[in-house]
Amino acid sequence: MLLPEVGYGWGEIRAGLDRVMVILICALFALGVVSIYSAGKEVRSSTVVYVARQLVWGGVSAAVYVAILRVGYRNFVRLSFWMYAGTVLCLIVLGVRGIVSGVTVARWFQFGGVSFQPAELGKVTLILFMSRFCSRRPPENVKNFFAALAICGVSVLLILIQPDLGSALVYVAIIFAILTVAGTPMKYMAWLSGVALCAMPVLWKGMREYQRLRLIVFLDPYIDPQGAGYNVIQSRIAVGSGGLWGKGFLQGTQGRLHFLPAPHTDFIFSVFAEEFGFIGGIIVIVLFACLFWRILRGAFRTKDTGAKLLCVGVVAWLWFQVMESIAMSMGLAPITGIPMPLFSYGGSSLLMVAIALALAQSVAISPVKEKFAHI
Amino acid sequence: MYKALDHFDFDHRLMYVRNIFIFSLLFLVAGLAYFQLVKADEYVDLASRNRLRMIRLPSPRGNIYDANGVPLAVNVRTFEIRAYPMDIRRDEDYESTANMFARHGIPMTSADLRERVDRQYVAPYRAVSVIGNLTLAQVSDLVMDDEFSRRLFPSPVWRRIYPAGALAAHVVGYVGEITREELEYQRDLYYQAGDVIGKNGMESMYEEQLRGTVGEQVVEVDSRGRPLRNVNYNDPQNGADLKLTLDLAAQREALRLMEGKKGALVAMDVNDGSVKVLMSVPAFDTNPLTWGISAGEWSALAGDPDKPMMNRVTGGAYPPGSVFKVVTAASLLMEKTVDTGTVISCPGYYRVGTPPRTFRCWNRSGHGRENIHGALRDSCDVFFYENGVKLGIDKLIEWGREFGVGAPTGVDIPGEVGGNIAGRDWKRRRIGESWYHGDTVNYAIGQGYLLMTPLQLVRVYAAFANGGKLVTPRFNSAKKPEWKDVKVSKANMDIIRRGIRDSVKSGTGRAARGFGVEIAGKTGTAQNSQGEDHAWFVGYAPADNPRYVAAALVEGGGSGGSVAGPLAARILSYLLEHDK
Repeated sequence: MLLPEVGYGWGEIRAGLDRVMVILICALFALGVVSIYSAGKEVRSSTVVYVARQLVWGGVSAAVYVAILRVGYRNFVRLSFWMYAGTVLCLIVLGVRGIVSGVTVARWFQFGGVSFQPAELGKVTLILFMSRFCSRRPPENVKNFFAALAICGVSVLLILIQPDLGSALVYVAIIFAILTVAGTPMKYMAWLSGVALCAMPVLWKGMREYQRLRLIVFLDPYIDPQGAGYNVIQSRIAVGSGGLWGKGFLQGTQGRLHFLPAPHTDFIFSVFAEEFGFIGGIIVIVLFACLFWRILRGAFRTKDTGAKLLCVGVVAWLWFQVMESIAMSMGLAPITGIPMPLFSYGGSSLLMVAIALALAQSVAISPVKEKFAHI
Repeated sequence: MYKALDHFDFDHRLMYVRNIFIFSLLFLVAGLAYFQLVKADEYVDLASRNRLRMIRLPSPRGNIYDANGVPLAVNVRTFEIRAYPMDIRRDEDYESTANMFARHGIPMTSADLRERVDRQYVAPYRAVSVIGNLTLAQVSDLVMDDEFSRRLFPSPVWRRIYPAGALAAHVVGYVGEITREELEYQRDLYYQAGDVIGKNGMESMYEEQLRGTVGEQVVEVDSRGRPLRNVNYNDPQNGADLKLTLDLAAQREALRLMEGKKGALVAMDVNDGSVKVLMSVPAFDTNPLTWGISAGEWSALAGDPDKPMMNRVTGGAYPPGSVFKVVTAASLLMEKTVDTGTVISCPGYYRVGTPPRTFRCWNRSGHGRENIHGALRDSCDVFFYENGVKLGIDKLIEWGREFGVGAPTGVDIPGEVGGNIAGRDWKRRRIGESWYHGDTVNYAIGQGYLLMTPLQLVRVYAAFANGGKLVTPRFNSAKKPEWKDVKVSKANMDIIRRGIRDSVKSGTGRAARGFGVEIAGKTGTAQNSQGEDHAWFVGYAPADNPRYVAAALVEGGGSGGSVAGPLAARILSYLLEHDK
């Protein structure tokens, strides 16, 4: 704890790097690219474009990953308050601008050709901020618990008005997981869950018509087979028809015939499961399970409580998005439009996941650093 | 720092949470096992015969009628045959489909067919139009063919027809297939590629009211594309009709009057702002645009130097010339720069500035002594030059804006422009020069940078006619009349009204006299930097109890009195004669 707040040298990174984690990440990314290629096939002019862009973003993400390892997670944790405040400020600006212009609140800022979604970056800053806050003021008493809840709740509310239900749920998962591990008495957690349940009807009232429809059709897609339920039915047909071994690479019909909406983003797993079947699906799930395991292994090894919470937050985020997108592809969860980590096409979400994974890797390296320092 | 106990608690909780994370993934495994192992056969079957076909049933658009119920836009029902690319994109499919059409006397080769399908192709399951424009008889004949039902779907198509054609083209507008850009920027998700959308005029302005709601038929088909059953059916909802204030018979009269000219003729009810006549010439026929014209025909129409597609009444900004003098007169009177006793002497020119510049009166020999009444009657430029400079440009612009100059009138037609009445700041920014007296002199007689649309002018004259209401022009008869009060006193209004009445009686507007109605109005001959002078006449009738106001503009028409005066007078007398 008395270490100087500097980054890691190449030697430290080489000595402490969790290579298994890197291999798992690369494997998942590669499977994602394969699926994107398959999803893009037959859609005019996009096949190679999507894959090429995803590879470019992969390269950018890798560079950022390495850069973050050099800087070290502690420096990010130290600045987390300001980063989180900046995120909230961006969300407020979007909200106010949306209310002033009257139509809807936008989800992103546009800089020339590049769009920037504060809600995506917010996942990282929220994790950093919470791990610092909850390690300094453990939510063991009412005061600290409510303080943490209030500060984090602000960003959730701001995202709900966008309205971006999917991202808000990711935030809730992160907050819940970190609070639990940080030592919140079970009594409080039970109480919080109760309040959340009571809030459901209020949330329902505040939702837009299309959002409600998406939620209902997941319970019974045949209510509206050509409208909102169409996606659910078609995706389920894609997954189900994959069978044990799948139809084979580029042999899927559902995704390629455009029965699936947004096959390369929201429904990427449906494309994958149709072509690689149950076996392929199990492989992906196991790869994610191993990744979570390795990240948490780092959490067990470090003595820094903030770092433990950071790892928990990263896993909670990835876990929620994996659960949601795979369950959604089978029609077992409502369609929220959140991407599947490392899999879905899309530069900004890939980059954010890479940042989170780099922070987790940095935690895994840190015991080595401590060892070096003691010598 | 943390107590050892806390540290223990941390790892304990961490373990629990880790186990929840990892084992909850088993839920996904179970789900996959259920759908991909237990239910696999069912879904493989569903995927292989996937197959719900969604058919959009277009809604007939609302009809558009003129003020007397004469149809301006109606629909006729035709049929088209649609198909899904995945069903028909093999060579033998093209061959057999073309053969089938040939058997029923419809000439179409397999190469034509392929070209049509490729052109419309978006995705294999998105239906494309194989052939359009069939009659009911042709379709029923085709449907009897054994080969027909496999992969072809007949569907009714509503085609828009404009019986009045060019007579009401600029008002009614036309419809056409939605473009890629329009699809991307649409506010709601209502439209799909291939849909028809209003492109201009009323068709665009009242699109949401006119379009109705499309219906949808969902059919489950077997692996060979034969319909098995109807899954869902929603009737299309007719669009609502639209009744305009426009009078088609008066339009016909207006077109006859404007034959062979370039310009605009517009007439409006002075009290409620309902536009009776809007004729912009040259006009164009909207029917071919709706049915589809070749790229060559389109560029010939759009690139025509006479700009037939431009609506000159709302979209054309012109120097108003002397017809603007009523606004100058109102500001002189209201700012007390002049009263009825103010007399100037007009030697036929006016000198102002250092070094002095000379501005000529249209009457080179001068008008002698003129007060405001005489200045309006004789359109004496020097009176307005001299007093305009006394008044100053800022006040003049302020009053111009009070009469709506420089801002769109708010008429319910798309693409309206606001003209220009910009002052000092604008000139400095745009031209980099400061404002001179000469600029004020120009503005006082409606020249210089001043630009107005014919519709803005009828609105200004309507305000004088109805006693100070600046009405918002409208085409939709169901729309409530709206207006803004102009802050000109009744006494001053009367002075100006008398001036422009006598202008027609015995002044420059004499050419508008003798058409059976007493008109009050003003001529204008606007200098035009691009060529010949524009001829203007704006006036209302009857002079003592006004009903209608009209503006006539002939581009490059020369002298306003003789050219434009009779046009406006004839349309006013026509409207009054046919008044119920």
